[in-house]
Amino acid sequence: MPQLNPAPWFMIMLMTWFTYSLLIQPKLLSFTSMNTPSNKTTSTTKPTPWTWPWT
Amino acid sequence: MNLSFFDQFSSPYLMGMPLILPSLLLPTLLFPTPGRRWISNRLSTLQLWVINLITKQLMTPLNKTGHKWALLLTSLILLLLSINLMGLLPYTFTPTTQLSMNMALAFPLWLATLLIGLRNQPSASLAHLLPEGTPTPLIPILIMIETTSLLIRPLALGVRLTANLTAGHLLIQLISTATIALLPTMPSISTLTALILLLLTILEVAVAMIQAYVFVLLLSLYLQENI
Repeated sequence: MPQLNPAPWFMIMLMTWFTYSLLIQPKLLSFTSMNTPSNKTTSTTKPTPWTWPWT
Repeated sequence: MNLSFFDQFSSPYLMGMPLILPSLLLPTLLFPTPGRRWISNRLSTLQLWVINLITKQLMTPLNKTGHKWALLLTSLILLLLSINLMGLLPYTFTPTTQLSMNMALAFPLWLATLLIGLRNQPSASLAHLLPEGTPTPLIPILIMIETTSLLIRPLALGVRLTANLTAGHLLIQLISTATIALLPTMPSISTLTALILLLLTILEVAVAMIQAYVFVLLLSLYLQENI
């Protein structure tokens, strides 16, 4: 069974780790996830309270 | 040349070039490198959703110190997933059926989790060699059993992936051979085998995804013990 033959195992390991750590990981790092959209406004509103004359 | 069923797993060569190199490198082209200006398309949005889902799924059982493995584990699952799925296309070679590649991934990562445990909390990780509440006469034999199971883990990880993918590809090849061979003599049976082949292909797509997930999930469980 040729899939159990470890023949060029060092080259395979080198290429696997090259793909894994130098290609996939930088690509994955450049994915930036944004916040989920929400209906709330980001700025807080400033209420201007006043006092009723009869209280 | 006499071709056997196992010849699909031998690493192909074209003009002296081992074709395992492009079959390792090409699946990475499926992932774009999104720029920093947040221009996304449907594909990258979907990939981002999958990446977030996987990361959340893997990182939930780990504690805070284990979260720095998020990039490693997520990129490992994406690598395995893309290679497994691309390997299901006809006339392609799947590098994850090679035992040497799976061991090359499994052994260093397992060793990393083990060394982290032994360095940062030696007594806690050594305590995993004895389950709590063991009767005293059983302790020596149980420690030997647990040590063996600890040391056999990278082998089991690599062999699991290899065996599952090999079995799947062999089954697909066997059934498709049967479909072709039965077509002139028994067309109805051949149609039935073609139907089975379709169902099996769906199963193999699922297996390709599940095995990539299982590989990384087991690694994260080993990490969880040691962190």
